[in-house]
Amino acid sequence: MILCDHLTKAYNGVPAVDDLCLEIPAGEVFGLLGPNGAGKSTTILMLVGLIQPTSGACYIGGIEVAAHPIEVKKKIGYMPEDVGFYADRTAKENLDYAARFYGLSERERKQRVGDLLGLVGLDGVGTTVGGYSKGMRQRLGLARALINDPAVVVLDEPTANLDPRGVLDYRRIVKDLAGRGTTVLVSSHILSEVSKVCTSVGILANGRLIASGDRETLSRAATQDRVVIGVDTTAPMPRFTNPEILSAEFSQDSCSARIVARKDISDLIAETLYSEGILPRRLAIEKSDMEDILLSYYAEETV
Amino acid sequence: MTATGLAIIAGKEFSDHLRSRRFHLLFGILVVIAAVGMITGVVQYTKDLSDYNSLQMLAESEDDPALAGNLAGLKPSILSAYSQMGMLIGGIGVVLGIAMGFDLMTREKESKSLKSLLAYPIFRDEVINGKALGGVGAIALAMGVVLVFSLAVVTILGIVPNLGELVRILIFGAVSFLLVFTFFALALLMSAVSKDSGNALLHSLIVMIVLTSFIPIFAYPPVYSAVFGDPPTPPGTSAYSYQQSSSIYTVTTTKVGVQASGGVIDPEELKEYERASREYMTQRQTITDIVTLVSPTGNYQTILSAASQPAGDSAPGPGNLLGALAYNIIALLAMPAAFFGLAWVRFMREDIR
Repeated sequence: MILCDHLTKAYNGVPAVDDLCLEIPAGEVFGLLGPNGAGKSTTILMLVGLIQPTSGACYIGGIEVAAHPIEVKKKIGYMPEDVGFYADRTAKENLDYAARFYGLSERERKQRVGDLLGLVGLDGVGTTVGGYSKGMRQRLGLARALINDPAVVVLDEPTANLDPRGVLDYRRIVKDLAGRGTTVLVSSHILSEVSKVCTSVGILANGRLIASGDRETLSRAATQDRVVIGVDTTAPMPRFTNPEILSAEFSQDSCSARIVARKDISDLIAETLYSEGILPRRLAIEKSDMEDILLSYYAEETV
Repeated sequence: MTATGLAIIAGKEFSDHLRSRRFHLLFGILVVIAAVGMITGVVQYTKDLSDYNSLQMLAESEDDPALAGNLAGLKPSILSAYSQMGMLIGGIGVVLGIAMGFDLMTREKESKSLKSLLAYPIFRDEVINGKALGGVGAIALAMGVVLVFSLAVVTILGIVPNLGELVRILIFGAVSFLLVFTFFALALLMSAVSKDSGNALLHSLIVMIVLTSFIPIFAYPPVYSAVFGDPPTPPGTSAYSYQQSSSIYTVTTTKVGVQASGGVIDPEELKEYERASREYMTQRQTITDIVTLVSPTGNYQTILSAASQPAGDSAPGPGNLLGALAYNIIALLAMPAAFFGLAWVRFMREDIR
């Protein structure tokens, strides 16, 4: 559904997005991850037709965005990171204005606006948007992104200002969208959030896609030559010396450690603890969380 | 460009202007000023007409064809009342134009709604074209209301304009609209190039002051003399020279050709003086014309004073009037077009990040 083909965007000769090749199938919830300045927002702006690529192309549903922006925009729902509205108008008026651009009749607009305000929990709020909290604006932004019942939804930092209830609503909405076959692209810094809703992830660094795939694939790739072993003991443990150990982090009382090794050395650690007369409370191979995966890729990229 | 997107944006902008307190306030002032100008002008017109009728009766009773001939081209016109109103509208209209345009683009940037707006299925030019169209509609409505209001005042006071006067009144309305639109387009340009509304307003006011006050300074005689030099001095010593001014005319009389000692001045010197004088006056007229053309308020006042000339047999018809004012009208059309063109290009090239 979304295809980036050697997509490049340079500002004053400096590439913000560099030769990006990416394919997101229909119905996928794709998380675009990366540190500040990685090129996430620039990629999104090219995908929604707000800026033109310097070279390469991107396609939505097989239509090239730069060549046919209007056709593409009709298929897309977009919520920018810094979501904004007309402060002197109500949520209903703001959504109705947005709906007009998609050629909806007055009856359809009324129906759609009412449904969406209910979906994001803003039905019955009659005040103008100027009096809304950031979280309410974010909810309204999500509603506006869905006003045209899009085939592709692009969300830039969608949970940045949401309260826990709002986050739950957001997850529910995204899962519903995915269930209906809508492709969702989520750009976020909140890694745990991405791992909760996204079926696959792309990691951007310095404008380049350094890894992509589903979480398991990325996890395997990130940990294929390393194992993270967590150790908790009843007494302070000694510093382990083994050539397979890549790094080791100990707690202040030395009763907990997180050891990264080239291969599983948990037997050797157990033997060392036994020889020192220290009782282990826990000795286990840890599964990498999203943050570990991401940091491991960033670490590789900066080497 | 799709007509739908343009119409939606223009409709919203038009509605925003009509709902804006700023517009209500300035429009209210505009109407009050129009009323005051109209009533004052009509009172003056009635007095002038009464004086004219008395003089005409005098010419008829004394059977003085020379006086009757002179009076033929001096019949007061109701347009003199519009001239009075126009002078007042010139000032507030400029402010209205700037007030309506200075935050059109910056407001979208400040409210962070520009990205969302551009993500709708519309082309980028529809945004700026729609905003300009909505503004033009609101200005046209405001000026139309003022024009209808002025005609109502005139009619209530018992004056019915003839067809020629009606055409001139329409010309007055059209150029008043163009003046406000010029400053609206200037403010729109400043809104497109500035980062925030404060800067856009400041830049608009600076350019407005340059166009309406700074540039016309060069047409004033003392400034002109200081910049381009004094007029040539008559040969010999003038026997006497004086300048008499009234509110309408400035008459300068200089007696030349005779030296103080009583000797006769060389005719060649006199001829040279006349040539230099003509050259000086031609240059001065050119500079004055250029200054007038560059200044929208200068063009407005030139058109206004020509359109409100006294009626009568010698008054030019609408066609001749428009022909004589062609340069001023073109300048008054070209300036907003240039401002809007620059705003359009700037907005189309704007980097959205």
